[in-house]
Amino acid sequence: MTSKQKYFLSIGFVLILVAVCVYFIIKDPPKLGLDLKGGMHVILSAKEKPGAPVTERSMEQALFVIRQRVDKLGVTEPQIERQGRNSILVQLPGIKNPQKALEIIGKTALLEFIEVKGTDKEGKVILGKVLMTGKALKNARPSFGELSKPIVEIEFTKEGTKKFADVTTRYVRQRLAIVLDKEVMSAPVIQEPITGGRAIITGLDSIDEAKRIALVLQTGALPVELDISESKTVGPTLGWDSLMAGLRAGILGLILVALFMVIYYRLFGVITWLTLGVFATFLFGLLVAVNAILTSFGLAGINLSLPSIAGIILIIGVAADSSIIVFERIKEEVRRGKTIRTALDTGFSHGFKTFLDADLVTFTTAAILFYFGIGPVRGFALILMLGIVCDLFTSFFFTRAILGLMSFTKLWRNPKLFGLERKG
Amino acid sequence: MRFDFIGRKKIWFALSGVIILIGFLAIIFRGLNFGIEFKGGTLFDIKFAKPVEVYQVRKELKAFNLGGSTIQPTGKNEVLIRCRSLSSRQQQKVIKALDEKFGIKDHSIQNVGPGWGGHITRAALIALVLCLCGLLLYISMRFEFKMAVTATTALFHDILIAMGIYALVGRVITPNTIAALLTILGYSLYDTIVVYHKIMENTPRMSKQTYGGMVNDSINQVLARSINTSLTTLFPIICLLLIGGETLKDFAFVLFIGLTSATYSSIFTASPLLTLWKETEPRYRSLKAKYER
Repeated sequence: MTSKQKYFLSIGFVLILVAVCVYFIIKDPPKLGLDLKGGMHVILSAKEKPGAPVTERSMEQALFVIRQRVDKLGVTEPQIERQGRNSILVQLPGIKNPQKALEIIGKTALLEFIEVKGTDKEGKVILGKVLMTGKALKNARPSFGELSKPIVEIEFTKEGTKKFADVTTRYVRQRLAIVLDKEVMSAPVIQEPITGGRAIITGLDSIDEAKRIALVLQTGALPVELDISESKTVGPTLGWDSLMAGLRAGILGLILVALFMVIYYRLFGVITWLTLGVFATFLFGLLVAVNAILTSFGLAGINLSLPSIAGIILIIGVAADSSIIVFERIKEEVRRGKTIRTALDTGFSHGFKTFLDADLVTFTTAAILFYFGIGPVRGFALILMLGIVCDLFTSFFFTRAILGLMSFTKLWRNPKLFGLERKG
Repeated sequence: MRFDFIGRKKIWFALSGVIILIGFLAIIFRGLNFGIEFKGGTLFDIKFAKPVEVYQVRKELKAFNLGGSTIQPTGKNEVLIRCRSLSSRQQQKVIKALDEKFGIKDHSIQNVGPGWGGHITRAALIALVLCLCGLLLYISMRFEFKMAVTATTALFHDILIAMGIYALVGRVITPNTIAALLTILGYSLYDTIVVYHKIMENTPRMSKQTYGGMVNDSINQVLARSINTSLTTLFPIICLLLIGGETLKDFAFVLFIGLTSATYSSIFTASPLLTLWKETEPRYRSLKAKYER
């Protein structure tokens, strides 16, 4: 195969890949992060407590419970994943009522039935030992009780029914406190042993609260107590505003770069446009592919958040630099007395060595950043890594072939086209 | 056109020294303004339906004992409020009060618990140290040890300058700032490596000149590339800085300073330092004695 055929082949290969990328980008466009489209982001961290140690198992259980709760909220495309040893990240894009969601997701929902030892001066009950917990719960639902007061009806499992019957028999005519997350909901007097396996929780403020409590009781208690380490709610229009501002700036920046390249490098500048176009398509295509792989492993995909958009703008600068290094190299070879034709041919391979090293260094930094980074920084680092892979790929298969092919045309006879003084 | 970069190294070192010193003093006396992500706290981003003055907002916040919050007007009818960490109920109360008084069009709230920030900072520091170790190793292997050390020095130079200017203007440091600083780290090395690559290429071809002279030639050879690359990267960043919206503005600000400094340091800091060090080697010392008077 002649080198000319090789170059044609490699451009054909690139064009097919571009078409594939475009197809996948249109089919499954990268999703916007919630800093851009609005929604809620929470990081819940488990607290080490006597009696409730934070273990791998308890964290997995907590994750499971939270998943169930979020599913019941009916949010589309939630992201729920472990973060580090003892934290859980929950992202709910586009959620309407973040406050309510937060109260449901993070609630421990530890239901306890505790003996009452008496009351203090202010009339508050003094609690004794825990007689039973909400573990043996079969179902819970919101309802209205006497005087249309909101209540939660609970139903025990077979085992729970037996235990509850035992407790109510033993403590008949005494008070029994129903405690949810250390808060005494009510402390009624047991009139007679309850053997039907049903009980109600009263003392609620509203039917909304009853609904919430029923929901968290249904999904079971969290095995560990979770604190909100970080929460972020973004209004839908605020995110949109910053997206538009970022895009406007990005587009203007690209136009300036394009103008500069064509004024300074002439025909090379036009090649840069093509290269950058191919590069950007590959970058988004790769992003879609990586997201597909991540999701198939049950991991959260990378959303386009503000930092990742900044990363894209930066990596486009790096990609433009690869072209600049090659063009400057060609100019240098011409200055040293080589013909433009030879320089077109050899300039690439020399320039490539330079930015290969520079790219590898940036890649190392990004990889470490990705591994240790948290949240948005990871998206940023991933974009940098993907960008560098695309940059090397585009340079090797596209820029090189275009420059090589050019040396076969008669274009090189006119040095002005390349912004070069006549020499070749 | 040829410039003498190496011969005037004392001027460049002095210039860098002065900028770093000013930044250092700013860090000591003004301190760095860490965002709520590091020290914990609540950040409200509120867009009102009509123009609202900062003092009016502050007056409302006093009712919640939050009169001392940082209130920063941004964009159109929009303010950022930074205060101590509030529970989600308290946050709602603040929003409700402001909504009743001024009318809120849209809002975002971010809350970070006090312990969490330390966690993030630690993770970032670990990443930084590992980055540096990895890079020292890589450059030592691909190039040489003296280049690795001087490239890293240039990198610290850039990070110090970016931090110093941050302290000077008192902008808030967010995780985005850290991401930007780490980008500078990569970019600074990227730039230095392009120059060092040229030096490595020219070293075997050295004839009748000092090491410094050869380095100076190398810099001149890559100068057009350095300037053009900086320009093409700076165009989008300047656009972000001017019209990119508040969040991206912060990001662009660090990148702007960092990239300018990175271009500068690869030429004016790393290469002269390398020359100084290399010329202590007997071989290059004798060359220097031979060709410089």
